[in-house]
Amino acid sequence: MATAVMTTLDQRTRAASRGMSDISIRNLFIIPTILFLIVFNIFPLLYSLYYSFTDFRASTNAPANFVGLQNYRELLNDPFIWSNFAITAQYVIVSVTGQVLVGFGVAMLLNRDIPFKGLITTLLLLPMMLSMAVVGLFWKLLYDPSWGVINYALGLGNFEWLANPKMALYAVAITDIWMWSPFVMLLSLAGLSAVPKHLYEAAAIDRAGSFYTFFRITLPLVAPILMIAIIFRTMEAFKTFDLAYILTSQPTTEVISIRLYKMAFQEWQTGRSCALAYIVLIMVIAITNIYVKYLNKVKER
Amino acid sequence: MAAVRTGSEIALNRFAVVIVLIVTLIFLAPIYWITSTAFKPRNLATTIPPTVVFEPEISPFVKLFTKRAQLRSAPTPEEYAAAPWWERLVFDGGEKVVRSGKGEVQLSGYPSRFMNSLIVAITSTVLAVGMGTFTAYGFSRFKVKGEQDLLFFILSTRMLPPVVVAIPMFLMYRAVGLNDTHWGLIILYTAFNLSFSVWLMKGFIDEIPKEYEEAALVDGYTRMEAFFKIVLPEAATGIAATAVFCFITAWNEYAFALIMTNRRAQTAPPFIPSQVGSGLPDWTVIAAGTFLFLLPVAIFTFLLRNHLLRGMSFGAIRK
Amino acid sequence: MRKTLTGLLAGIGLSLACSTSAFSQELTIFWAEWDPANYLQELVNQYEAETGVKVTVETTPWADFQTKTFTEFNAKGDAYDMVVGDSQWLGAGSTGGHYVDLTDFFKKHNLGEVMAPATVKSYAEYPGNSGKYWAIPLEGDAVGWSYRKDWFEDPKEKEAFKAKYGYELDVPKDWKALRDISEFFYRPDEKRYGIAIYTDNSYDAMAMGFENALFSYGGELGDYTTYKVDGIINSDKAVAALDAYKELYKFTPPGWAKTFFVENNQAITEGLAAMSMNYFAFFPSLLNEATNPHAKNTGFFANPPGPDGDQFAALGGQGISIVSYSKNQEEALKFLEWFIKDDTQKKWAELGGYTCSKAVLESAEFQNATPYNKAFYETMFKVKDFWAVPEYAELLQQLNQRLYPHIVGGEGSSKEVLDALAGDWKATFAKYGRGQ
Repeated sequence: MATAVMTTLDQRTRAASRGMSDISIRNLFIIPTILFLIVFNIFPLLYSLYYSFTDFRASTNAPANFVGLQNYRELLNDPFIWSNFAITAQYVIVSVTGQVLVGFGVAMLLNRDIPFKGLITTLLLLPMMLSMAVVGLFWKLLYDPSWGVINYALGLGNFEWLANPKMALYAVAITDIWMWSPFVMLLSLAGLSAVPKHLYEAAAIDRAGSFYTFFRITLPLVAPILMIAIIFRTMEAFKTFDLAYILTSQPTTEVISIRLYKMAFQEWQTGRSCALAYIVLIMVIAITNIYVKYLNKVKER
Repeated sequence: MAAVRTGSEIALNRFAVVIVLIVTLIFLAPIYWITSTAFKPRNLATTIPPTVVFEPEISPFVKLFTKRAQLRSAPTPEEYAAAPWWERLVFDGGEKVVRSGKGEVQLSGYPSRFMNSLIVAITSTVLAVGMGTFTAYGFSRFKVKGEQDLLFFILSTRMLPPVVVAIPMFLMYRAVGLNDTHWGLIILYTAFNLSFSVWLMKGFIDEIPKEYEEAALVDGYTRMEAFFKIVLPEAATGIAATAVFCFITAWNEYAFALIMTNRRAQTAPPFIPSQVGSGLPDWTVIAAGTFLFLLPVAIFTFLLRNHLLRGMSFGAIRK
Repeated sequence: MRKTLTGLLAGIGLSLACSTSAFSQELTIFWAEWDPANYLQELVNQYEAETGVKVTVETTPWADFQTKTFTEFNAKGDAYDMVVGDSQWLGAGSTGGHYVDLTDFFKKHNLGEVMAPATVKSYAEYPGNSGKYWAIPLEGDAVGWSYRKDWFEDPKEKEAFKAKYGYELDVPKDWKALRDISEFFYRPDEKRYGIAIYTDNSYDAMAMGFENALFSYGGELGDYTTYKVDGIINSDKAVAALDAYKELYKFTPPGWAKTFFVENNQAITEGLAAMSMNYFAFFPSLLNEATNPHAKNTGFFANPPGPDGDQFAALGGQGISIVSYSKNQEEALKFLEWFIKDDTQKKWAELGGYTCSKAVLESAEFQNATPYNKAFYETMFKVKDFWAVPEYAELLQQLNQRLYPHIVGGEGSSKEVLDALAGDWKATFAKYGRGQ
């Protein structure tokens, strides 16, 4: 990988003559980061790749036996695992869609003449400054039918947010939306406020409808930064663990990270959990790749 | 803004203000609830309807900072009378303060873990933003072969579920003696935030016109001088915005802090929920811990709020 | 910019150096975050006063306890000198080489006689009947019940109950009565509910809850020596026990789908439930009016017998083991010698710890110390535990996966569920080469 960096670039003669050359500056700026990430990411990855082909259990001192593709084969044939993936997909879609709708919606509203805009924006960011574990604890309390505030405030009586297998995943997603919409809002707001005003004025002169203005001017211009927000939120939602784990016990909310955690740190099936981790990793990379391709397309427009 | 405001536009704006206020209130309700609980007496924490008017107490904070044990019965009047005011607050909550063999009051883990959090979060933020800015500049200004692939590789380091790397990381840390040290966590969080930092900073630096530096180079600056004197000040807002995000992530990280550290370097996030562990949860103490822990990051964000918005929009400006 | 950065790093380096100063002699005990750990800290403070050796009880939330301990073991970490480990860990701890063999220590001090037999069997010995000991029983524990005395003793309620069920409303004398009383007090309109049980499936909560029914109904998890499960875990008795446990779920407060010791205690303090299942170790907070407004009206009873008169309860509790990677094993042994002294055990019980010392347990002083100590004493001679094999966590996970949707979601019949579980367990034992 490092060799890829070591290529020639056009010489800017003036700069190269004094001080460091551009090549050495570029290498100085880029290579440490790449090396650092390789050491702290590739090494553990190779390590777990090796274990994924063994029956290693980290809880014992017994040596690992090579079992070939057995772990992968058994995992891909396990119906529980597939249901975990289906749940994860559902969760990612609900939660990221919710965050984009709420976050972008609020950003649209805030992108006007609103008193105390700066203060309101900062206050809205408070949820994402909390630790996930703490958010999980408090929302479990808030959702409780007997001593939680939500049912009281909404007059829902004994409505079971977390004990109802069908509702539980949505309840977790609502908490996630509460916590992370502000992130999408902030990025959207940044994008919106950068749209040049004269474009809107021109549209107004042309008597363009607000519908047209939104889809032809606003959205395309905000799209790149919104995509970055979506990429990061999708990745985080795919990996989500703390919230769902703390909030509920339902099999209907057992996202893949929870399954992975249980397999790795409760059952100590280290080898098999490494294999599962690889399957997850490949999926995330595939999804992100699609996003990044799309992002580049959006940017080029 | 258009010179003449139509009536419908004003109405629309009012409508927007109302909606924004409602949304803000909904978003802040849980935060208000946590904050108010931090000052409530224990028996008012879970009442329905919620207690809104109450005499604020500091007992949750006294409890947060001391090591306590559940009492099976109320203390004797003599014990109670002999106790200092803060110990009485603990007695009132049905607990007693744990003392060491020499009779000294034992502190809870909170203060030292709070300090650990500060050390780890600040250092890793400085490192991640610093390295991220350099690297982003490198990618932005120079031709790099396989640039897209390298950038994707950087992004991919954030895709891994923490659970996956936890075991090999732990074994590796153990081998080099980094477990349960501040540096161990600092390196980990730097690695974790670096991808975000590179990606955001590249957005900002891409938008700083190359002509600025080229003019400086013509004036006899070296590339390094141009970077430090021209590019960095221009990117300041972007740096501030990136720093806020990196700080929030490092400040709240839970899984690795739990697995990689024990007593010397453990940060506060794993500690706060542990207060729920005894026979009955004392929500006031958890709320107090959460409230205090929210303050530094909220203040940091508030101070940088203008940079945050401008910094973000800077990244989005298109030529 | 660079100057501030270097300054900052230097400052941090300095603080790092200061925070790692070493103490002359120090021992660290690792346990979960709960009251007994606080009581233990108070106890070991006396050891420091006597010997000058500082002992720290390090804690982590229950939810992370297992993970944290074994992550440390796997890396052969010496952060902890002693661990107060769950009884199910014995297999993994001993065969994995993480625990120091304490057989000689055990025999030298004749602990097999000194400690209550059930605690020796469950917290110390592995494999069963092997005469190999890996831990010293430290905290005895089992599941018992708390209940609302004022509701039970209300004359109007008594009358209504007798009219409906034909016998006196009293502390349940068997599982049938437990069910009837739960149904009787289940009144959602009054925000009053019958019973609080364990349902959390993230670790062993639901298994412990179900075991109370299973063992009292005369059922078993399997044969602990031959590892035969088919025909045992899905026997008629086991199916009846699961039906009984599942039925109790109907009478729990709303949203009772992820509950363990914290929630079950809250069911009493918040005035929600007539009866609540919980480990004895969590009862102290129900005695103090500052933490339980109904403290005066809270009573306790042991897990009632099933239809055939069998009476057992699920075992909790832990023994203390020396970590084989510790550099202070000598010092730790000295500490254990102090810990097993009669005086220490007595003091331990006074502080609120559940001693396993037979002499202390049998003393009138201990049995009258709290309203539930007598029930605890009786229960400790009728306890059974989950599998203690190294792969117990897989067995637990399979049980959770099968039982939870059935109990909480109402999926499948008890027979189907237990048949499926027997299949899972059989396959797991086969995988690890146990039994045939």
